[in-house]
Amino acid sequence: MKNQLTRLSAAVFVSLVVWSCNQSDPAPKGDFVSGVFVINEGNFSQNNGAISYLTREQSTAEADIFSKVNNTALKGGVQGYAFTGDKGLILIDNSAAGLDKIEFVNANTFTTEGSIGTPDIENPREIVTVGANKAYVSCWGANSNYDYKTGYVAVIDLATRKVTKKIDIASGPENLVYSNGKLFVGTVSYGGGKSLTVINTSTDEILKTIVLDDAVTPIGVDANGKLWAGAGLKALKINADTYVTETTLPIGSDASKSAGNFVFSSDLKTVFFILSYFDANYVSHGETYKFAITDSQVNVSTPVIKRVFSGLSVDPQQGLIYAAVTPSYAQAGYAIRYRADGSLVDSIKVSVAPTGFVFK
Amino acid sequence: MFVIIFCAGTGLFLSCNVCAQQDTIRLEPVIVRGFVPEKFMSGLKIQQIDSATLTQFQFQNISSLLSLYTPIAFKNYGPGQLNTASFRGTSASHAAVLWNGLNINSPSLGQTDFSTIPLIGFDKLSIQYGSAASVVGTDAVGGSILLESMSPSEGLNVSIGRQQESFNNHQTQVSARYGISRNDNWKFSGKTSAYDGRMKNHFPYSERRNYTLLGSETLQRGLVQDLFFESKNDQEISAHIWLTRNKLILTPNDLAGRELTLTEAYRTMLRYRIKDLTVRTAWVRDIIDFAKGDLTNPDHAVTDKVSNRVEKDFQWNFSQSGSNVQIKAGAEWTHYRAQIAGYEKALITENRGDFFILTRWQAKAHLLISANLRQALITGFNPPFTPSIGAEYQLFQKTDYSLKLRGSYSRSYRAPTLNERYWNELGNPDIRPETGWNKEIGLEQHYQLNASQFFTTSLTAYHNRIKDWTYWNPSKSYHVENLQQVLARGVELQMAWRNDFRLWKSGLNFGYALNKSVQEKAYDAYSSDIIGKQLVFVPIHSANLNAFLQYKNTRITGQVQSISKRFSTFDNSQFLNGYSLANLLAETTINWHKTSIRIRGQVNNIANTFYLNVRNNAMPGRSYALSMVLSYRSQASKRFLPK
Repeated sequence: MKNQLTRLSAAVFVSLVVWSCNQSDPAPKGDFVSGVFVINEGNFSQNNGAISYLTREQSTAEADIFSKVNNTALKGGVQGYAFTGDKGLILIDNSAAGLDKIEFVNANTFTTEGSIGTPDIENPREIVTVGANKAYVSCWGANSNYDYKTGYVAVIDLATRKVTKKIDIASGPENLVYSNGKLFVGTVSYGGGKSLTVINTSTDEILKTIVLDDAVTPIGVDANGKLWAGAGLKALKINADTYVTETTLPIGSDASKSAGNFVFSSDLKTVFFILSYFDANYVSHGETYKFAITDSQVNVSTPVIKRVFSGLSVDPQQGLIYAAVTPSYAQAGYAIRYRADGSLVDSIKVSVAPTGFVFK
Repeated sequence: MFVIIFCAGTGLFLSCNVCAQQDTIRLEPVIVRGFVPEKFMSGLKIQQIDSATLTQFQFQNISSLLSLYTPIAFKNYGPGQLNTASFRGTSASHAAVLWNGLNINSPSLGQTDFSTIPLIGFDKLSIQYGSAASVVGTDAVGGSILLESMSPSEGLNVSIGRQQESFNNHQTQVSARYGISRNDNWKFSGKTSAYDGRMKNHFPYSERRNYTLLGSETLQRGLVQDLFFESKNDQEISAHIWLTRNKLILTPNDLAGRELTLTEAYRTMLRYRIKDLTVRTAWVRDIIDFAKGDLTNPDHAVTDKVSNRVEKDFQWNFSQSGSNVQIKAGAEWTHYRAQIAGYEKALITENRGDFFILTRWQAKAHLLISANLRQALITGFNPPFTPSIGAEYQLFQKTDYSLKLRGSYSRSYRAPTLNERYWNELGNPDIRPETGWNKEIGLEQHYQLNASQFFTTSLTAYHNRIKDWTYWNPSKSYHVENLQQVLARGVELQMAWRNDFRLWKSGLNFGYALNKSVQEKAYDAYSSDIIGKQLVFVPIHSANLNAFLQYKNTRITGQVQSISKRFSTFDNSQFLNGYSLANLLAETTINWHKTSIRIRGQVNNIANTFYLNVRNNAMPGRSYALSMVLSYRSQASKRFLPK
């Protein structure tokens, strides 16, 4: 009996120690410490974008975590989300002028911590964080007559929550890729630009403007440190130091199709993308394909997934493909999970018009 | 030959002093012939708004009144901004808005922005529930809103009014009504009104509960001219002009992002009736200018509509049974010319024709039957043949109690809008007209409690299935398609009580509507999520309550409107919360010789209720309005008593 008591008190003591260790451990707390965040653009005129959340284990999602936590909606379309440490930044695009913003949240609890609005942030498009205290946001600016001349990349100090600099980039700055002190900025296909801008993130000055023969979408940096970019119906492998295009891979030869939603696999050795077109009835069709960074040509005859999506991402932890489905802008969309070989895992209802995923 | 409708106008619950500026007073026999479609709508529910209520809303847009007195649901984009109606759970283009019998829905959009229709533009307002396409033509799927100009009585009546509102908003109106008997043969009368409203919407707060109030500015101006010539030898000529201009600027302080929507309409009409023959010609020009940022060179859209109509009335009396049949046969021809920046061609023209036969058969003293037939013809395709049948049966009729059963079964259609047919790329010249079948049944009860009190109840159930419902399909890059099938079902209850005792008058109106309006047809793999779901922005429950108490010339009125939550996505995964709004009005009229001054104070949204519009922006909280109307009347209006 005494023995047992000793054993029990020892056990209690040990657990207390463990528990108190846990207490002093600065492990993040909150409902959203790890998991998958879904960017839902919403219907533009309804300003009903949202961030949905699911854990990697669940097959249901919480449709709008910001509203749930803060009792107020994001009030705009959600264009992007990124976090660094416990700081999360949500890009909000409202259909009315003057109401666009970046909403700052605690990345673990999703409680709001403030915002930056117009004129600092106008028509935000994409975001990357660099280090613990800096973020870059591509913005189209007011762009009221859709000539894409007012664009810029906003440099944000996360400690003060202020835009410290605007770097002018015309033609509708869009996709951002950060690697090794450099930010690569692409433009939208309809902005009229054909160049990739390189920004030095220590000086926040434009380092180089790489002129190519089509609108450029930077994809990421592969396992060998090479930058990949999409440019029209081509995938380009670019030397991130010399900016020389080392490989040009044509993506089929059907000019009626367009390639987009390029994403790297978790090992950074494969690129997935969607090749799509509109049929005579204006229905979007297409498939999801892939190529390896070592391939000498892109196989567009055997798709990985015989479907077109409104968003595509790969979870760097598990390697699963997360694909977004938007049945229409007037109903909730779905996140569909596939294994890297294209086999279906499950389908999860999210919010309106999902376009991307952020993994934590 | 004459059909007489006893308009239980304001007289029943307004003292004559207060309504000395009104036209319809006491039980006035209105000779209905030629112009008015209501008499062939037996079996359908028609709600008349009394002129005291119209006067209370004289500085407001029609949507403010309709949302407080009818179950029509509005889809509002913000103060002074686009405001479209859902009538009995249908879409914005399923309510016909008729101005003196002419459909004034925008031909390009097929709908009316109710924020551009001020009450000052017309004299009489009726709301007809349910499909009446066989009588009024296209768009009358969920119901019709009938705006009429009325011939003023003899004498001169001039008034000038001004309303000052919160948020630096104000309205000014000037109006003159005149009537003169030239000689024994001719009577001439007319109305000239001008109005100018400036809604700056300078809210003292930029947010409510963290939701932004979007800045907007609306300038509304208009001119109304009605002329009536009535002859003793059964001839009438009337001319009507209504010019409107509604300039809306969204976020006016943001010079790069501001948005201009300028909506102008020139509406003109000439009507002539000789005995049983009526002809009408009308020209309407609708202009919409839209610009963003730089407002100097907007997108310009002009649509002209020229409409000619001829109709003839016939009547047979069957002396042995007391029954009679009235028939109206007519034809309408409309020519459209559209010059719209977004269209494939610089100029689009289209012809539309309509032939109709409307029948009203008083089969027995207690039984009234209407049977109507219409065939519309449109360049390139033909809408369906549109029949309807309706009946009214008096179940009980005693001096103090009456109960009437009514029912209607009718087909409806909506001709495609010009945008649906001709918009560059997204439009579809081959789009089919929408078509529906509406069934409804109702009871009307009138109970005269004593000499000063009465109580009325109206209960209606309806079932309206609409096929080929068009949809700018987002999954096909917003190309327009005949995609959906919608079933709208519901129940409407309206109750009214009046008590007029010596110098005291009081009254109560209550309305409740239950509306289930659901999508029935699957059209893609994910539409299973929306089958059977309530249509967006159509509340399932809505209710309104209006009460007033009046002593001599002083009256207080309370108004309450409640709507349940409204889904904002087709799968009902998102919604806007339900809300109730209450307003309080107090008014008094001071008479001095031939002049009078009416002063009215109004508190809108007394409870400072927080609610959102369809843009997900906050609507304003409590606000105030103070108005003064100065009137001069050359003589007391002639009163007509029923024979």
